[in-house]
Amino acid sequence: MSLRQKKKIKRMALVLVMLLIALVYVYPIFLMCINAVKPFGEVVTDVIKLPSKTEWGNFTYVMDKMQYGKLFLNTVEITVVGIAGIVVFSSLAAYILDRKNNRYTKIARVIITTPMLIPFQTIMISLLKVMTTIHFSGSKMGLGIQYWGFGIPMATFIFYNFMKTIPGEIDESAFIDGAGTFKTYGLVIFPLLKSVTATVIVIDVMWIWNDFLLPLLMVNGSNDTKTLVLSAYSFVGQFNTQWHYAMAAMVLAILPSVIIFVFLQKYIVEGVVAGAVKG
Amino acid sequence: MGRKRKEYLESVLFTIPAVFLVCVVFYIPFLMGIYYSLTKWNGIAKEPVFIGLENYKTLISQSSGFITSLGFTIRYTILFMILANVLALAVAVALSKKFRGVSVIRSMFFIPYIMSMTIVGFIWKFIFSQGFAALYEKTSLEFLNWSWLGSGKLAFYSVVFVGVWQSLGFYIVLYIAGLQAVPTDVLEAATIDGAGNFKKFFMVTLPLLKPSMITCIFMSLTNSLKVFDIILALTKGGPGDATYSATMDIYREAFQRNNYGTGSAKAIVFFVIVLMITQLVMKLMNREEKAGVNK
Repeated sequence: MSLRQKKKIKRMALVLVMLLIALVYVYPIFLMCINAVKPFGEVVTDVIKLPSKTEWGNFTYVMDKMQYGKLFLNTVEITVVGIAGIVVFSSLAAYILDRKNNRYTKIARVIITTPMLIPFQTIMISLLKVMTTIHFSGSKMGLGIQYWGFGIPMATFIFYNFMKTIPGEIDESAFIDGAGTFKTYGLVIFPLLKSVTATVIVIDVMWIWNDFLLPLLMVNGSNDTKTLVLSAYSFVGQFNTQWHYAMAAMVLAILPSVIIFVFLQKYIVEGVVAGAVKG
Repeated sequence: MGRKRKEYLESVLFTIPAVFLVCVVFYIPFLMGIYYSLTKWNGIAKEPVFIGLENYKTLISQSSGFITSLGFTIRYTILFMILANVLALAVAVALSKKFRGVSVIRSMFFIPYIMSMTIVGFIWKFIFSQGFAALYEKTSLEFLNWSWLGSGKLAFYSVVFVGVWQSLGFYIVLYIAGLQAVPTDVLEAATIDGAGNFKKFFMVTLPLLKPSMITCIFMSLTNSLKVFDIILALTKGGPGDATYSATMDIYREAFQRNNYGTGSAKAIVFFVIVLMITQLVMKLMNREEKAGVNK
């Protein structure tokens, strides 16, 4: 056997082994999916066996019971509000912090980025008190706005590091053409931030969409404000013996992220890597 | 003078939204938390009663459960960091090579990372109870019959395992990015010098991988210290207090026992500990990096 053939066989073996490991790795997700479409009796008797017939009724029952459409829209609304504010305020702040160098911006930079080191759980108790006082708890808009504050430190940091790569001559030429600071930012600088904005959007959408503790504290009171994850949590708690409904609820809760991942995986993985390396 | 003044005003005006928002969600609650930690307050009564350092004395005492939960969090963090980094690096080495279907396999490892940790906890609760029971009937492998969530000792490993399972894909892609940045001519030079695969990996690749490693170690440290969602869904801290994390203890003290004062004291102590650990690890890693450069 030639060396080349030997190498090829080795490579094949590696591929097979990795594929096998990967299949075992995602097997729990597969089990969840098949049990979500089984009639109740089959879940009890054999978890591993494929369903004898596909019971789509589980999904319609759960969707109806947990008001899926409404909760989906709630989550979308909170995420969109959160992302919009984070991107606008962070990129604007990062632009100023990088370009203007004075005593104030030096202090502002420390104030804005230091909270990256503060774990959420250390402030959540008094946060709830503050947000209840200003009527931000129990409201989707209020929760979205809170994400601005929580997302800004990291996002500003990422934008700030990127801002250094944009030459100052660009601002100057815009300034000579008569554009003020805000106009320069909006019309000249912001369009140049596309790639880094995509990074910020990817990591923050994943975070807000899947966040649990902050929504639990702020909007768990009624179905009008709840998010998908919260509702799946209480639903599974309620139906913890009727696993087929619980599984259907879980599949429905993760379905949006999985669909988006399948279509945008390249951007998502790139964004996650870039965010971690820069952040 | 006029232009300078205008510039100064502008820099304040355009950053003030960010500064204000950060103050509202971080600094103000943090300062209030310090005050509340010195009071007795159930969250409902109008006025917290000032009691000095009483809360801090309570949480040092064994009965408060805080010390135990800190111990769990430290053990969880250590095991999580080791497993997440070693396994991710091993998988990344295998998947950084180019072959057909490699991107599909990478995606399979990444999928749990895009799912909410609460859901991940529930999936594994189902697997550990129903799934393992069914597999045991088929295969009669003894470990499938163990009480993975029922015994305190095993439950610890279960929650670490599930935590690693959820986020492994994240560390894998970071390590793959690092491995692909290792210049091939350096590796070729090592081959010509007669280094085997094993030697090449430890003497050439690993040192060049240091930046990725520092990122991954730091991320795994901060993420595991804050562990909450997965445990809440998987074991609720049980059996007994075997898997109670410090963050869960803060949550329970404040929102379930309504001791907002003691809860705030725990939060402050937790913050100080997290800060000390992360600073220490950062210092150690910086020194490592410098030492590496000097060689």
